[in-house]
Amino acid sequence: MEELGIQILKSAVSGLIMGLVFALVALGLTVIFGVMDIVNFAHGEFLMVGMYTTLLTSPLLGVDPVLTLPLAGLVGAVLGVMCYFGLIRFLLRGPMIAQLFGTFGLMIFLRNLALLFMGSEPRIIHEGWLVGKSILVGPGVVLESTKVAAAALSLISFAVVWWFINRTRVGKAITATSLDAEGARYMGISTEYMNALAWAVGGASVGVAGGLLVNFWPVEPGVGLLFTMIAFATVALGGFGSVRGALVAGILIGFIVNLPPVWDAILRSIDAAGLRGMEIHSFKYTMVYAVYFLIMVLRPQGLFGWKQ
Amino acid sequence: MEAVKNAFDFGDMPRSELWLAALALAFLLWFPAMPHSSFGMATMIQFLMFSLYGMGWNLIGGYGGQVDLGKAQYVGIGAYTTAVMMIRWDVPFWFSMPVGMALAVGWSFIIGYPLFRLKGHYFAIATIATSLVLKDLFEVWNFVGGARGLEIPMKGDMPNWLYLQFREDYYYYYVILGMLLVGLIYMNGFRHSRLGYQLRAIKDNEHVARSLGIDVHWSKIKAYAMATAYVAMVGSFHACYNFNIEPEDTMSLDLSVLIAMMAMLGGAGSMWGPIIGAAILVPMKNYLGSWLGGQAGFAGMDLAMYGLIIMIIAAAQPRGVYGIVEAMRARRR
Amino acid sequence: MTLLQVNNVTKRFGGLVANHEVSFQVGQDEVVGLIGPNGAGKTTLFNCIAGFHQLTSGSVIFDGEDITALSDFQVARLGLARTFQIFQASGDLKVVENVMVGSFMRTSSRGAARQVALEVMEFLGIADTAGEMMTELPVAAQKRVALATALASDPKLLLLDEVGAGLNHSEIDGLIELLQRIHGERGVALLLTEHVLEMVMKLSHRVIVLESGRKIAEGEPAAVVKDPEVVRAYLGDHYVKRQKENGDA
Ligand SMILES: Nc1ncnc2c1ncn2[C@@H]1O[C@H](COP(=O)(O)OP(=O)(O)O)[C@@H](O)[C@H]1O
Ligand SMILES: [Mg+2]
Repeated sequence: MEELGIQILKSAVSGLIMGLVFALVALGLTVIFGVMDIVNFAHGEFLMVGMYTTLLTSPLLGVDPVLTLPLAGLVGAVLGVMCYFGLIRFLLRGPMIAQLFGTFGLMIFLRNLALLFMGSEPRIIHEGWLVGKSILVGPGVVLESTKVAAAALSLISFAVVWWFINRTRVGKAITATSLDAEGARYMGISTEYMNALAWAVGGASVGVAGGLLVNFWPVEPGVGLLFTMIAFATVALGGFGSVRGALVAGILIGFIVNLPPVWDAILRSIDAAGLRGMEIHSFKYTMVYAVYFLIMVLRPQGLFGWKQ
Repeated sequence: MEAVKNAFDFGDMPRSELWLAALALAFLLWFPAMPHSSFGMATMIQFLMFSLYGMGWNLIGGYGGQVDLGKAQYVGIGAYTTAVMMIRWDVPFWFSMPVGMALAVGWSFIIGYPLFRLKGHYFAIATIATSLVLKDLFEVWNFVGGARGLEIPMKGDMPNWLYLQFREDYYYYYVILGMLLVGLIYMNGFRHSRLGYQLRAIKDNEHVARSLGIDVHWSKIKAYAMATAYVAMVGSFHACYNFNIEPEDTMSLDLSVLIAMMAMLGGAGSMWGPIIGAAILVPMKNYLGSWLGGQAGFAGMDLAMYGLIIMIIAAAQPRGVYGIVEAMRARRR
Repeated sequence: MTLLQVNNVTKRFGGLVANHEVSFQVGQDEVVGLIGPNGAGKTTLFNCIAGFHQLTSGSVIFDGEDITALSDFQVARLGLARTFQIFQASGDLKVVENVMVGSFMRTSSRGAARQVALEVMEFLGIADTAGEMMTELPVAAQKRVALATALASDPKLLLLDEVGAGLNHSEIDGLIELLQRIHGERGVALLLTEHVLEMVMKLSHRVIVLESGRKIAEGEPAAVVKDPEVVRAYLGDHYVKRQKENGDA
């Protein structure tokens, strides 16, 4: 029984922390989707680029990984703008299916470019302020300070983006465009500029998320897909285009991913012979997909959705 | 009776297309007799398989306009049904293939019902989700070998038509070519059927379609089931041709997207589109791979170029190669 | 014989009442016009009748059957066809194939569907466009194809939403003649909306006037246009007042 209690606590804390990082990953996707109804399959690859940026520049500049976060954000933003002008702008003219394939091509391209230059072995940051330290928060519940700090920084980054979108003039123009592109154009807001800006903001936030993530999650060229899917699920749950929704949904998804260990602990604690072999820890991410599917079917507008 | 007549009625196609198709068919029939490498043969077999996959996708994605990115789950169902039945109960290919198709169609009804309440991007991503869930389940399901997959044992005496085991690849080649021809005839019949017309009307405008008495939801589900049958059939073939199957190579997102891409590149919603697309993409992927992928220090180069080409195509000609042909034809008039 | 019976139909979108307690009937061999200024709720009423919208309250009876709860495609199969106000042609179908989608409602045979489609196109005078793509036709011709498609489903009642919109004078005259023939020779009852009055006045046996979702008048075309309520709805209070002042003077 005690083990179960500890596991629940552990899952809850870890769910909250992972959830905040997921939310930051999903934020970029939802901003872009809100402004131009396009789904970016390469979103996870943007994250990967952010991860590599921090991994490589930190030793190069001789500073702590945490200090390279602005750089990861900058690289993400530049990448986003480049993709917008080099690819997305053309895709928007075509049918939806062209958009799906265009960004899918981008995903393959970025992933294999990384393979070409970085090789396939997973890498992680070994030294830094955040690495290897832990806090004891309760009996048996040990928190890696890396994750706690990453969660806190996620929240801060999220707040910055939220502030930018809701409190600055330019940010409000983004919201106006996503609510009514036609109307915004009449008010003298250039759609082209807004789209590029959305890609910059989206790229920056996911770049920062990558810089944080690489402190405790190994990076390899194929790391993106899982996070793309998690981001899709998060955005679907929160409502396509909703920033607030992404935060709440990210945390929810964090909890969902941490449910299987609780279930397994329940199984162990009641020790029912008939249920042995029904541990589901390997279904962590399957649950995410299943949840995505169920949400879409039962509540297509998401929890806070305003765009459908 | 009329259905049969419809299937063999090619009268509404331009003459030039039919001549080209006949030439292509002659080439395909003749190909094994021409000098070729085993790599070339494998590429041709893959081309035929992907043509059929693409045709299945095209049925719902091209004619119906429903962008499905979860076709790989049906490849998996077909392949696993055949492999499991062959390994455990010694059931010949020609019996397990229809069973696999039936299972796949059954599954397509179950998920199709909720899936088709969604539209556009929402539908496309949900199809990915269903496919990935199934793949994850297969990876932990011991009955089907988990993540390691299954291996079909050799029967010894070859060629074995019943179990589809051959030493020389050209047997497989003719089997899959035969399937392609059957698939083409069936597709031609579908094009001319009531559902075929209704599906295209749905793609055009769902409101108008409904006002003409079409049960849009049910029509999509029916077409989806037919599309599924194509894919599962080739999935069964895949199991026999490859001897071993894993969730990763039969059910991955990459495979789903590749299938859809064939049809889109060639021209979604046209009869020849998927075949044209497969004829371009499969050799391109294979030869880029063998040319660049093999060289030390160049891992990833081939696929990076492949991704680049996909981006260019999607940006420059979203209606595919067949779209270019049609545009040229319209200009000449 | 009454073909369509609309009873106290109300349709709300959130706080907006698009149709309020609207009732009227359409007989088996009638042509009825539904007029009203832009935004009066005509299209919404059509959508309610055709099963495209769920009613907030009220009921619709068609051909003796209560169709209130039916879906739009089920209503269509009972013989209630419609054309849309906004019509955008695109896609892969040739003109004749487009019309065949209509006739496929009554048959599953391609040959039979094609025969009906060609016959209807002949009737509407567009048989020569059979082999062309929809996108290659001018708007007026596209609208005729839409009309042909609806007719090919062999309806008892045809709802026409602003069929005359975007057409010039001579095209409208042609359309009026055509609709008269559809009614006269094929025995299809018509219910049509228009915010330009000319066409409705010439065609209809009876006119219903809608304003802000309510029915404000019903009667013979000539009588309805003189109704002060109707004049006000169309031209504004201010005009009515001035007319009265002019009359007094
Ligand atoms: N789907 C809808 N959701 C919300 N409001 C609607 C919807 N359809 C129509 N309306 C509103 O209902 C009113 C009537 O519109 P409509 O029926 O199109 O008028 P008409 O066809 O007479 O011009 C308008 O105020 C319109 O904005
Ligand atoms: Mg209207």
